[in-house]
Amino acid sequence: MDINGRANHIEDYLTQLHSGQWFGWSDSKNKVYENLIIHDNTKTKPTEQECTDGLAKMQSDYDDAQTKQNNDKTSAITKLKELGLTDDEIKAIKEVV
Amino acid sequence: MGYIGVQPEAGFTSGLLDRFTSTTGSTVTLTHDISSENDIIVFVNFVKQDSTNYSVGGSGNKTLTLGGTLVSSDIVEVHYLNIVKLTQQPSANSVGVTELNLSEGTSGQALTTNGSGTLSFSTISAGITEADQWRVTTNFTNSGSSAETITANWERADVSFEKIGTGLTESSGLFSFPSTGKYLISALASYYPAGANSNIQFYSAITTDNGSNYSTLALALSGASGADRPENIGFNYICDVTETTNTKIHFGTVGATNITWQSNTNSQRVGFTCIRLGDT
Repeated sequence: MDINGRANHIEDYLTQLHSGQWFGWSDSKNKVYENLIIHDNTKTKPTEQECTDGLAKMQSDYDDAQTKQNNDKTSAITKLKELGLTDDEIKAIKEVV
Repeated sequence: MGYIGVQPEAGFTSGLLDRFTSTTGSTVTLTHDISSENDIIVFVNFVKQDSTNYSVGGSGNKTLTLGGTLVSSDIVEVHYLNIVKLTQQPSANSVGVTELNLSEGTSGQALTTNGSGTLSFSTISAGITEADQWRVTTNFTNSGSSAETITANWERADVSFEKIGTGLTESSGLFSFPSTGKYLISALASYYPAGANSNIQFYSAITTDNGSNYSTLALALSGASGADRPENIGFNYICDVTETTNTKIHFGTVGATNITWQSNTNSQRVGFTCIRLGDT
């Protein structure tokens, strides 16, 4: 995942699929699905489509969460302004909250 | 030069002589240090002088005071019987083991002193003989709040790195040492918290009975108040490895599914460096 915590590789999906070191790579310098290996024989190797879809869902979940957070922020500021608060007063509240 | 009898091993040495002309006054300055009047024979106008009629003094007894006053036509010759030996610089490449109060050593040894004036050859430690670096290549999480050994996905660093010496041996997360000695272990672990967690640990433990019992030698503790940017924890320790068959170390983590240990195959994110400092 990137520095903001947004998943950007199927390894991020696999890490969240099961805990522990249940998987690895036959070539760690080339982390593609074909090189995915399973260390824990109690776990089933997911399909490539599952990995792709899982990564996409993590990304969309992250993006949705970011969008919601931004929308909530904008909405909150709008409502506060409707109540008559100035920008400085809103900033002061943000520092407290 | 001719000789009679056995040929001298070295050539004859020339005597030392000072010759003073056009000198007035009662003193001349010798060119060599002497200890007393008895170390020289003085001639004035080729007449040997009685040693009781002249004296020496000054720095190095080099000021010769004669029994009378010279005129410029006088010739004074001073023949040295002895001179005070001064420190001499040996010629280049002329001093070897045989010139020193010292027994020859063996190849590769260095000259040392006991601090009391006795020199000897001794073997010098070769410096760093072992240095190795390992890391985990693949991200992982912990199943819960209990300690879990990192057993898989280890690799020796392979980007701009070359181990020194034999290096460690790894098997299922257990590291064996190549030789006895004192080893410095420096470890680092990066993690990404996706949520609050008050019990994040990264540790290393040692076994001296091939895995039956372990002692924790280092433990780094951390926590997260919520989802945040990646964090790092790490530790350093020195362990004394007195035998290599049953002595091994391993590394482990405590976290939960919301803590992703950020591993990488090109840089040290969860891994360690091991350097042998010296003998046990």
